[in-house]
Formats: sequence, structure tokens, C-alpha cells
Amino acid sequence: MSVMIALCQKEWRISLDTPQGYVVSIAFLLVSGFFFGSSLFLNGQADMRHWFSILPLLFIFFIPAMSMRLLADELHDGTYELLATMPTRTIDIVLGKYLSLLGHITFLLVLTLTYPLTLSLLGDLDMGLVMAAYLAAWLLAAMFAAACLYASSLTSHAMIAYIVGLMLLLAMFLLTQLAPTLSVYLQDMIALFGPINHYHNMLRGVVSLADVMLFIALIAMFLSLSWFELERRRWR
Amino acid sequence: MIKAESLCRQYGNQFAVQNLSFEVKRGEVMGLLGPNGAGKSTTMKMLTCFLPPSSGDALIDGLSLSQSIEVRRLVGYLPEHAPSYHDLDVEAYLQFTGKMHGLSQATRQDKIAEMSRTCGLEQVMFRRIEELSKGYRQRVGLAASMLHDPQCLILDEPTTGLDPNQIIEIRHLIRHLGEHKTVLLSSHILPEVEAVCDRMMIIDKGELQAYGTSAELSKQAQAGARLHTKIQGESSKVLARLKAELPELEVIAESTLEGGLLQCELYHPDVSCVLAEKLFHAAVAETSVLLEIRQEQASLEDVFRELTGGKS
Repeated sequence: MSVMIALCQKEWRISLDTPQGYVVSIAFLLVSGFFFGSSLFLNGQADMRHWFSILPLLFIFFIPAMSMRLLADELHDGTYELLATMPTRTIDIVLGKYLSLLGHITFLLVLTLTYPLTLSLLGDLDMGLVMAAYLAAWLLAAMFAAACLYASSLTSHAMIAYIVGLMLLLAMFLLTQLAPTLSVYLQDMIALFGPINHYHNMLRGVVSLADVMLFIALIAMFLSLSWFELERRRWR
Repeated sequence: MIKAESLCRQYGNQFAVQNLSFEVKRGEVMGLLGPNGAGKSTTMKMLTCFLPPSSGDALIDGLSLSQSIEVRRLVGYLPEHAPSYHDLDVEAYLQFTGKMHGLSQATRQDKIAEMSRTCGLEQVMFRRIEELSKGYRQRVGLAASMLHDPQCLILDEPTTGLDPNQIIEIRHLIRHLGEHKTVLLSSHILPEVEAVCDRMMIIDKGELQAYGTSAELSKQAQAGARLHTKIQGESSKVLARLKAELPELEVIAESTLEGGLLQCELYHPDVSCVLAEKLFHAAVAETSVLLEIRQEQASLEDVFRELTGGKS
């Protein structure tokens, strides 16, 4: 556990000491603010449905940027060799990196809580619905983060890690978009396993165990894949 | 302290290290010599549990490499090019390393203060590693590798890319550390190994070629006795007398200097023929004077070239 905390602190320290962390965070907040403002002022509606439906797209572009250097840079700079020869297990390295990323994303989501707070001052906002939607957004982001961490473990170039992460997330998103054109069987499969479908289920305000479990299962899968990829490097 | 038993490591079909067995005693500085691509780094990566061996094993203080977490606690490792987090300052980096090794805050503070003193880092503690010179980065790497007070230090080419002053500083540091710890260091710079190490081993193509102190290795490489001498007086008679006694004697190089002085290099295939003594007696018998007599020793460079096929 102390190893994970040490890794988390190191990542945050690097994020705070270098412009990388700030640039991505500020860009995310600006873009998400723009979409929130546009629905509020253009449609004149005091609800967040529009913002939450756009949010997955923001995640698709920004989460790979937050995660790309996490493992790729370590592999590129040779510092992974240092990490891997400290008395830590590979899984601790993966979890430490993942927690630092999750912390970053959670921090940004917490900052966006100013939107529902503003809205609640202006109109009658269904807080239960908003909280369920936030939980859905957080789970989706956590799942995307695990997928992007896996992308970062595949290569020693941060840029390639970004592209691979982006492609992975876009594939998940587009699969849901394309579902109506596919066969019924495939549609059912996508409804069952598509993370975006489950995200939309939760946006309705219903938090079901099946939705939550799907996200947790996918997170576990991608973290295991990252662990496997790092272990594989030692054996080849 | 370190005992490798037929270590092997394969990359695909190629052996990077093959059947490597050696022992490093407690408190010894051992040099690992070899041309580039000989398997030095791979050997070190196996000993630090970064790469698992394809077959064979090594014992570090009696612990097998399969007990990797325990072994890593005993070993401090400085990889080639001393990688570190360039975005952190030195203090933060050492703190991070200490935390990763599970040191308590008080121990961490003590150790960081001690290591920064030992490695001369006090001036740069709050500078970003990115801004430091290569010599300082190397020292930061060394300090980080020793923070958890390991019994055994494994240093992969600790002086590459440094200027001569920095090389001498790092060498002093390693010698100083070697008084208390077991050190295994790799290099392809021969004078460095000669200056720093108690014993050395030479590997090539993943296999152990020679093993011993620098004097032992020189002896191994030298096939025969070689003598450099300057004779004044009846030099040709002296040589004729010596040849009569040692028929296999060869005069490799010969030149006449001013004043009838003969300078020559003698060679005899048998090391134990006491060439120098016989030359002296021959000179005395011919009432000539030997102005110089020097036994030629094979240098470590000769050993290295001979064992690694002149690839150096």
C-alpha cells in the first residue's frame, strides 16, 4: 500500500511541477465549461442532460492525454528498470499508476460540480438524477483510465500511447453508435457489454448492480492486461 | 555474497548470457569486463531480478533470485546511463526512492542527509535533475541506489559519458563504498577496472573468459618470458652465450644506440626459464654491463584483446 501511495505522490508531484498536468486539466475544464454554457444559454434549460451526453466524448480525447506518459515514459527513460528493481510487485506499480490517474480525473470531475451547484441556484434541479449521472461519469472515466493505462503499457512512446488509447476508446464509443445498423444478436451483445450503453442506462437515474459490475469488471480486465504486458516485457 | 551458478539468458534463439558461474566475496569490488554486447548488462539485470534467468540461478547472501522481493532489498542497482525522473528535484527523487523501499520518515531523512553528504549532492538538493550535469546525475543515481543501505551494489557502467575529473571522483566514491559493501561494477574501460576493482572477470559472447586479479589475468595471457634490455660492451657475445644456454631464445627487436649500446627484446617460450638471471650471468661472464633490464608484462589490455578476439 505504501508503495502505491509513494507512486501516486510522485505522479502528482510531476503533474504539479511540470506544465503537462496543468495544460490538460485547464483544456478539459474550458471545453467542458463551453458545452455546459452552450446548453444553458442556447437552450435556456437548467438541466445537465446535454452535458452528460457530451462528456464521454470529452473523456475520449482527454483521458488518453492524461495517461499517455504514465508507463510509456518510464519505459522510454529507463526508469521502469529502477521501479522494477525496487522491492515492489508489478501489480503495485500498475495500481499506483492507476490510482494517480484516477485521482487526477476525480479532481477534475469534482471541479465540475460547480455546474450543478450553479444550476440549483437558478432552477429546480433533480439532485438525485445528477448524482447518479456523476457516479456513471466517474465509473466510465475510471474504466477509460484503465484502458488508457493499458495503452501506455504497450509502447515506450507517449504519442503512440495517446493514439492507441484514443482508438480504443473511440472503438467502444462507435460500437454503440453503430449498433442500430448491426444484426439483432450483435445489438444485444453491445447492449450487454457496451460501456456507453451502460453509461446511458445510469444517466436515467437508475443505478443497477449490473451497470456498476460491468465497469468494475472492465477496469479489472484492463489493469490485468497492463500487469500482464509489463510482466511479458521481462520474459521476452 | 553473490554466487552465480550457470546463469543463462536467451533472447529468442540467441544466448545473451550462457552458463555464467562466478562468485563475489563479501566486501569485494568485482569488475565485470567485456566488449559492448558481451552480456554484462543482461547479467546485472538478472542479478537485480529485473530479468528472470532462462536457466540457472544466483544466490545473493544465500537468497535465490526467485525470492525476488527479498533479494531486491539487499541489492542497490544503478542501471546504465543512470536513469532518473528528470522532472523531480533531487530531494523529491530521493524521498520517492526511500518511500518505495519502505523507509520510515525519520530513517529517510537521515539516509538522505547521509547519502547527499557521501555523494556530494548538498549543493544541488533542490535543483531539478533535468538541470544537472551528467556527473551529478550519476551521483544522484548512486545516492538513490544506496539509500536503503543495501549490502550489495550493482553498478552498470557507472562512469560512461563523464569527463576525466568526474570519472576520478566517481571512482573515488566507488572505492570508498567498496570498503563497506560488496560491489559489482561493469565497464569496458580497462584502466578504470584496474584502478577500482580487487578482482575482475572478462566475459565475451555471454560466456566467462577469465576470472581473477589483474596480475593473475596478465600472467594467464602471457605465454612465455619477455625481457627488455640494454647491453654495454660485448653485446653480441653476451647474446651468443645466452643462446647457447637457451636454444629456443629469440631476439624480437634489436637496435644499436649511441656508444655501442645494444637495445634488444628477448623472448623465450618457457616462462620458468629464469631468463633475467641467465642474462645477468652471461653479461658478467663477458665482462659487459647491463644498463637496463625489464620484464615485460602483458597488460590488461592485451588480456582483454586476446580473450575477446581483438574486438576491443
